Amino acid sequence: MELFLQRLVDGFSEGSVYALIALGLVIIYRGTGHLNFAQGEMALFSTYVVYQFGEWGIPIGIAVIMGMGVGFALGAVTEVAIVRPVSKKSPFAVFIVTIGLFQLLNWLDGAIWGGQQLPNTGVGSKQVRFPSLFPSKPTDFVTIFGANIKIQSLGVIALVAVLTVVLFTVFNHTRLGLAMRAVAANGESAKLVGIRTGRVLMASWGLAAAIGALGGVVFAGINTNVNLGLMFTVFIYASAAATLGGFDSPGGAVIGGFSIGLIQNMAAGYAPKWVGQEMKVGVAFLVMLGVLLFRPSGLFGSSRVERV
Amino acid sequence: MTPLFSIKSGGPASWTIRVACALVLAYVLLWIPTSGSNSLIDTATTALTLMGAALALNLLHGFTGQISLGHSAFFGIGTYTTAVFVTRWGWSPLTTLPVAFAVAFVVGAAVSLPALRIKGVYLALVTLALAVVFPQFIKWPKIAWLTGGARGLTDTGFKFDKDNRTFELFGWNPWGNLRGENVKPFYYWIAVMIVVIVYLICRGLVKSRVGRSLIAIRDNSTAAAVMGVNLPVTKGLVFGLSAAMCALPGCLTAMKGTVTPDTALLTAIGSITFLIVMVVGGAGTLWGPIIGAIVFQFITEKTGDWADPKEIPSALRPIFSWSDVAPAGGIFALALIVLMFTAPHGLAGLWKRVTVRFVSVVPKPAGSSTVDERNVNDKP
Repeated sequence: MELFLQRLVDGFSEGSVYALIALGLVIIYRGTGHLNFAQGEMALFSTYVVYQFGEWGIPIGIAVIMGMGVGFALGAVTEVAIVRPVSKKSPFAVFIVTIGLFQLLNWLDGAIWGGQQLPNTGVGSKQVRFPSLFPSKPTDFVTIFGANIKIQSLGVIALVAVLTVVLFTVFNHTRLGLAMRAVAANGESAKLVGIRTGRVLMASWGLAAAIGALGGVVFAGINTNVNLGLMFTVFIYASAAATLGGFDSPGGAVIGGFSIGLIQNMAAGYAPKWVGQEMKVGVAFLVMLGVLLFRPSGLFGSSRVERV
Repeated sequence: MTPLFSIKSGGPASWTIRVACALVLAYVLLWIPTSGSNSLIDTATTALTLMGAALALNLLHGFTGQISLGHSAFFGIGTYTTAVFVTRWGWSPLTTLPVAFAVAFVVGAAVSLPALRIKGVYLALVTLALAVVFPQFIKWPKIAWLTGGARGLTDTGFKFDKDNRTFELFGWNPWGNLRGENVKPFYYWIAVMIVVIVYLICRGLVKSRVGRSLIAIRDNSTAAAVMGVNLPVTKGLVFGLSAAMCALPGCLTAMKGTVTPDTALLTAIGSITFLIVMVVGGAGTLWGPIIGAIVFQFITEKTGDWADPKEIPSALRPIFSWSDVAPAGGIFALALIVLMFTAPHGLAGLWKRVTVRFVSVVPKPAGSSTVDERNVNDKP
């Protein structure tokens, strides 16, 4: 029971990171129909920025908001300057460009902050570990039914829950949200009724990158450091989550993220010989493949009719 | 704008140019292992490895319009097929090439089964996941008895005789005594052989009826289906064939002696590298990946130690000295983005665009359709 509870919470807290990245993927996909392969790397860049803010002595609570601001700017500029012009050429070009962005951002992180994991006292970091948003000392846990649950895990889950509620309010009860849904439903018609689709798309990319930044900071906090490969597998898990939830359903992305985190943690925990740490990503792969084969629109996505 | 010259395809002028190009190519190919330095031979061998993989990817991506980020896995299947057959069952490395081809073909065709239902970017996602899963699968404790797990395998290559290091090819020994550095040209020639095989398969397909049906699938799959192209079978076979060809240069990696699952080309980084090589050279052109691989390897090696500002030529120092890592990754990432705006068919496309102003070939050779605004027509 304790073990089960522990794995449950661990799965949910890892899953919340996947949910955040998946949310970003879904927001962009709904708006433009593009799959942003650089989503994880955009988040990683912002995470490095937050580390830098930490080095300058800014407390993590403020640093993460500033980091999300940087993420928003990065996403918005990417959309306006790169993705929008190239999407007029072909979807193939957009795919290549997002791969290019993926590589460029990862290289940029290395070029600015070096290849080693940070914080690293060897290269003069003032911080000992990546700042966590929640108390994360070894003594910071609560005991529920005999299981020691880290406060950090609970905090992360609560954070994602609150963020989800906020996002739903924005999507369903604000003008921006209405505009975003209109653009997602039919970009051409949205333009005709006077919605500035360009701004909406820019805001979507910015929002996606900002949420991603939060995900990156949370994950680096759990991981206690940030490194160049941090978001690599996270992106795979997040895309599995988005696939599971349905690529055009933000709610699906959150549920998908939690589910993927749960499934892979349970599988790794209860089948250490078969799955273990090595094949965790294999489980996500199988989930993704299974969903695409048997229910391509995901659990909550709308299946669209294709016109030939 | 009318070009200055017009050359009849198959006429004497066309043949003169072809023979001249073939002679230059043959001269360069022979010059590298005989007169080039050892590091040049190594560079050339690596470039040829990338060439083979990018050519294979190009058949799928450039000509059929199917996106794959999973080719590092197929490359790795080649590597591990050779490694396992040589170490576990004592096969000669060269005889494992057809086996690797077959294994990768089966795996590729099997992966393409979902690919028939999954389109566009979803296929990219699934194949990317495949690329990430592959090294983990190799490390999986359940199959470590076969693959050596995370530690990898050693002695996976040719067993040159310890004393005189001769190597016999079906009782014939064209290489003389292979010792020390003398082994390098040997690997080089295997790489050349693999690239020639892959190139000829690609060329044969692209210039044939099959190639035209592939290009039709790429440009408009609905129209292709209406014209009688069997979409599922064609897509599946091409996916399998592309995977199989990609495995061949992978085998070469194992032939050099040791394999580990963390070799860069066997991870998702490999997939991205192949993609960069293909796009920079020119997707959808036969020569693109060849040019791309040479450019990629040349720049990567030239800038390899530029993380240290002292190594950068002084003219370029202000541009690159701030970077903590070698700039090749950033250069090619930027190139990928810029090329999509300026030259979607890469360097080969640029070359065509320039030459077409001066020389035109009539009639156009098969397989050279230049649809500039290419579409991945299957919207996700």
